[in-house]
Amino acid sequence: MLLAVVDVNSRLLDPVRTVLGTVVIPLYVFAETPYRITTEVTESFASRGALRERNSLLERRVLELSQISQQFAVLREENTRLRALLGSRNRLGAEVLVAELTGVVPGPATLEVIVDKGLAAGVTVGQAVIDAQGLFGQVVEVSEFFSRVLLVTDSTHAVPVQVNRNGVRSVAAGTGQLDRLELEHVPITADIRTGDLLVTSGLGGRFPPGYPVGEVVRVEVDPARVYAEVVARPLAALDRSRHVLLIFDERSAAAALEESAAALEESAAALEESAADSGGTGP
Amino acid sequence: MNPLRGGWIILLSIAIAMMLAVAHLPESLPQWLGWLRPAWVILVMFYWVMVLPDRFGMISAWCVGLLLDVLRGDPLGVNGICLATMTYVTWSLYERLRMYSVPQQGVVIFALVLGADLFRNIVQIFARDGHFDWRFVLPGLVSMLLWPLVYALLRRIHSQFGVD
Repeated sequence: MLLAVVDVNSRLLDPVRTVLGTVVIPLYVFAETPYRITTEVTESFASRGALRERNSLLERRVLELSQISQQFAVLREENTRLRALLGSRNRLGAEVLVAELTGVVPGPATLEVIVDKGLAAGVTVGQAVIDAQGLFGQVVEVSEFFSRVLLVTDSTHAVPVQVNRNGVRSVAAGTGQLDRLELEHVPITADIRTGDLLVTSGLGGRFPPGYPVGEVVRVEVDPARVYAEVVARPLAALDRSRHVLLIFDERSAAAALEESAAALEESAAALEESAADSGGTGP
Repeated sequence: MNPLRGGWIILLSIAIAMMLAVAHLPESLPQWLGWLRPAWVILVMFYWVMVLPDRFGMISAWCVGLLLDVLRGDPLGVNGICLATMTYVTWSLYERLRMYSVPQQGVVIFALVLGADLFRNIVQIFARDGHFDWRFVLPGLVSMLLWPLVYALLRRIHSQFGVD
């Protein structure tokens, strides 16, 4: 019992968890075998026609994406230049690591999955995880070869977001249902509409900014209440994705803070200098 | 002739039970089916403690519980306490339990699983700000209904491999 209390309230036992996890988590691999076998079998028995169709579909998709990425390169350059003009630090392209799902943690109350990259691949607790469509979750526990990812819709999960259209900030909290996020403390006057795209705002430093999180599906404004009820649908295919990307943010939050402090000091010094200048040359 | 006296069969059966405890349902099925998952580890351990009380004790039960905690991401030691308590109850009653008919043993299992789930639920509420859900009685019911099957299967394995 004491063990449980210590474990819940501190991180002291994390090493124990890591070591035991290295031994036990591979059980998930066995538990997952039936699914692997069915996928293999369906794939190897897929007809030639279906494969060709899929191939051409994928080729079209690659073409589309490469066109977008060409534009993206130009836009990124432009964005960097503009940001340099504004004097704010430019966003680095984060490095990613592809991981495959090895298991889904059971229990109707928790939404967690196990992925097949761990300490050995440099994964750390708190890393953001995305899939092809949007934010998937974050790493909450690592063992040697596997790590545990908490999904965005788990009832203990929340992520700072902003509306892509106008930058209204909020916090998207999980509800325990796979297809539902709720925005917390949205004033009834806030400009949020059905269909708005929510992206990570990067506030709090845990999630890198700019990744799509969800789409607003319902906004209910009750004038008698202080907050509006805003429901969003997560964009990531939380129950279907087999491959996810672990994002390595190049700088830790501390380094970023330090840098912004240095930048502030610099600008303060520059201001003082200019004030002195204008004082000296002024009438 | 059998130096381990079939110890590996006990270990293997518990490993398989743990695997079943984390195996997930196909995504196409509705999420609430997860509430119907029987307590596989308790079922298997109940059998071994009842039949071979000198082979499986509280310490090993606690260790299995610890592994289960790591596997399921529960606070460390919660399943350990559940399983150790359950083993203690079974162990102190095993002579009487062996006399019971299989459905009667099922009722005892229902009580044990219910107690364990209630405890886990309370811990979850403290640890994760969860809320109380009455559906937690379902695993106990399902375990009770599955017990005759598990019992028959394990007895078969038991005599086949000469575990004693």
